[in-house]
Amino acid sequence: METIKNALDFSDSPRIDLTIAGLVALFLLVFPIFPHSAFAMATMIQFLMFSLYGMGWNTIGGYGGQVDLGKAQYVGIGAYTTAVMLIRWDVPFWISMPIGMCFAVIWSFIIGYPLFRLKGHYFAIATIATTLVLKDIFEVWDFVGAARGLEISPIKYIPPDFLRLIFKQDVYYYYVILGFFFLGILYVNWFRRSRLGFQLRSIKDNEDVAQSLGINVHWAKVKTYAIATAFVSLVGSFHACYIKNIEPEDTMSLDLSILIALMAMLGGAGSLWGPIIGAGILIPCKSYLKEWLGAQVGLVGIDLIIYAGIIMVISAFEPRGIWGIVEKVRRRKRS
Amino acid sequence: MDILISSLFAGLLIGMVLALVALGLNIIFGVMEIVNFAHGEFLMVGMYTGLFTAQATGMEPLLTLPVAAVVGFLLGIICYYGFIKFLIRGPMVAQLLGTFGLMLFLRNIALLIFGSEDRALHHGILVDKSFDMGMGVIVPATKLTAAGLSVVAFVAVWLLMNRTKIGKALTATALNAQGARYMGIPTERMNALAWGIGGGSVTIAGALIVNFWSVNPFMGLLFTMIAFAIVALGGFGSVPGAFFAGLVVGLITEIPGIWDFFTYTFNFDWMNNVPMTSLKYMWVYLAYFVIVVVRPRGLFGWKQ
Repeated sequence: METIKNALDFSDSPRIDLTIAGLVALFLLVFPIFPHSAFAMATMIQFLMFSLYGMGWNTIGGYGGQVDLGKAQYVGIGAYTTAVMLIRWDVPFWISMPIGMCFAVIWSFIIGYPLFRLKGHYFAIATIATTLVLKDIFEVWDFVGAARGLEISPIKYIPPDFLRLIFKQDVYYYYVILGFFFLGILYVNWFRRSRLGFQLRSIKDNEDVAQSLGINVHWAKVKTYAIATAFVSLVGSFHACYIKNIEPEDTMSLDLSILIALMAMLGGAGSLWGPIIGAGILIPCKSYLKEWLGAQVGLVGIDLIIYAGIIMVISAFEPRGIWGIVEKVRRRKRS
Repeated sequence: MDILISSLFAGLLIGMVLALVALGLNIIFGVMEIVNFAHGEFLMVGMYTGLFTAQATGMEPLLTLPVAAVVGFLLGIICYYGFIKFLIRGPMVAQLLGTFGLMLFLRNIALLIFGSEDRALHHGILVDKSFDMGMGVIVPATKLTAAGLSVVAFVAVWLLMNRTKIGKALTATALNAQGARYMGIPTERMNALAWGIGGGSVTIAGALIVNFWSVNPFMGLLFTMIAFAIVALGGFGSVPGAFFAGLVVGLITEIPGIWDFFTYTFNFDWMNNVPMTSLKYMWVYLAYFVIVVVRPRGLFGWKQ
């Protein structure tokens, strides 16, 4: 009871933030009623998925300050668990999703335990290395379809299938992921003021001091890593049902890991709204750039050049993200 | 037996070239503690430079090395003054993502200009020649020359770092940037120089590799990760460490060949069924992971 009350308690945000957040939430709820193109719908679903990825990354990367560039491996684990179980044994999404989460969390303990002895760059590159190892294994493992990947054929099931999450219209997917999105916000809101959240922020500020205060630094990091993993793996499972065609190349690539971290950084790592703002800017920008420029003959890759330029400009000139700017402006106003 | 020896030999040869690839990354990390994700893309630039200079002028491919070195040096300097200088003021996550952005940028520019197809060199005095080293080991002349010239370039950079005033200034900047500034060393220029030397050495490696390896815009990441593994094993900031680690990682990339040897020798059926060739580079990543976990300092490292 106390937990739920804490999760719903947003009283430490300024009223203007809450008003804007409420309006955005209202817009998200009624968005499908307005006339929209299929492309806009797909972009919105992507936005919600990536917000959730970003929230997951934010717990360890933002609040904890541990730069994790290996989130894609957990997307892969979640997606593959759901897809394999659905194709081979006809297990519905709502059962395979928690199982995938368990696998991902177990894997995160296995690699997280040694990894968190490392700091800084070493940690970041080691997370990339584990992702690449896992991706290489999945690319030769016949049980999960090797490099061809897996395909969930929607013909076998009668849509709308709420148990297996197979739908014809995207709007169902939209509401499912929107539900997860709101739950995710509530969870992060609870998390940031939980015992672990406070421990984590003190670790970010100064690890030695945190240790001397009696915080088990290593264990706190591993636990948070598992939480971040659970988020990412959940969306991975959803990704499998939504995209229906998963390959190691697009569920476990380094690009995906980086995109997740980048969104959280662009919005402002270590803040509640940061990853959502980041996803809200970057995802439409990326998919519309691809739509307009990606297919131009003779200009292959121009959308990614612009995208890379955006990354470079942000990281060089505004590394604290949009939320950082907002806070700077507010602090200036107060003084 | 000859499979084993020739795998080991091939591993050592490619290891020498890989050591040169990793050297640039090592210098940059040693001097200014920034991890350059675009390193593999620098290599790609070197490969394209070597390829097009040789094809356009009909020149002997080995003579393109100075061109590649100059291009790499300029690329490093431009990247430093145009981008990295601003990046290093930010937190670590921004640095990592920023160099990743640089990597995407270079990769897609290459894609835009050159297209996605594989390109390879087919002329020059070295093509289609090979040496018989005895004991059934036959080595292509291109690989042998590349390995030899890599060692030469490596030693040159090592001499530059250890025997000249500029090298000493670079080392001083690496050890203590603030202290170096008080001693009158222009650390800003030293950082740029580190990027220049890093870029130059890796493009030389690229111009050597293009003699026996085809190039496409997407090949950078593989070499970036290999270079990371080498630098981690040899120790961040250690030049001799990079060389030995390069040899070790070269041998690791030849694990499929060694596996073949054991398969033939012992004739186990299950060994045949393991798709070892597809897992070729997994061992490098795994080695990286094990190294940083077991010994983060590396073999010869002085930076923790």
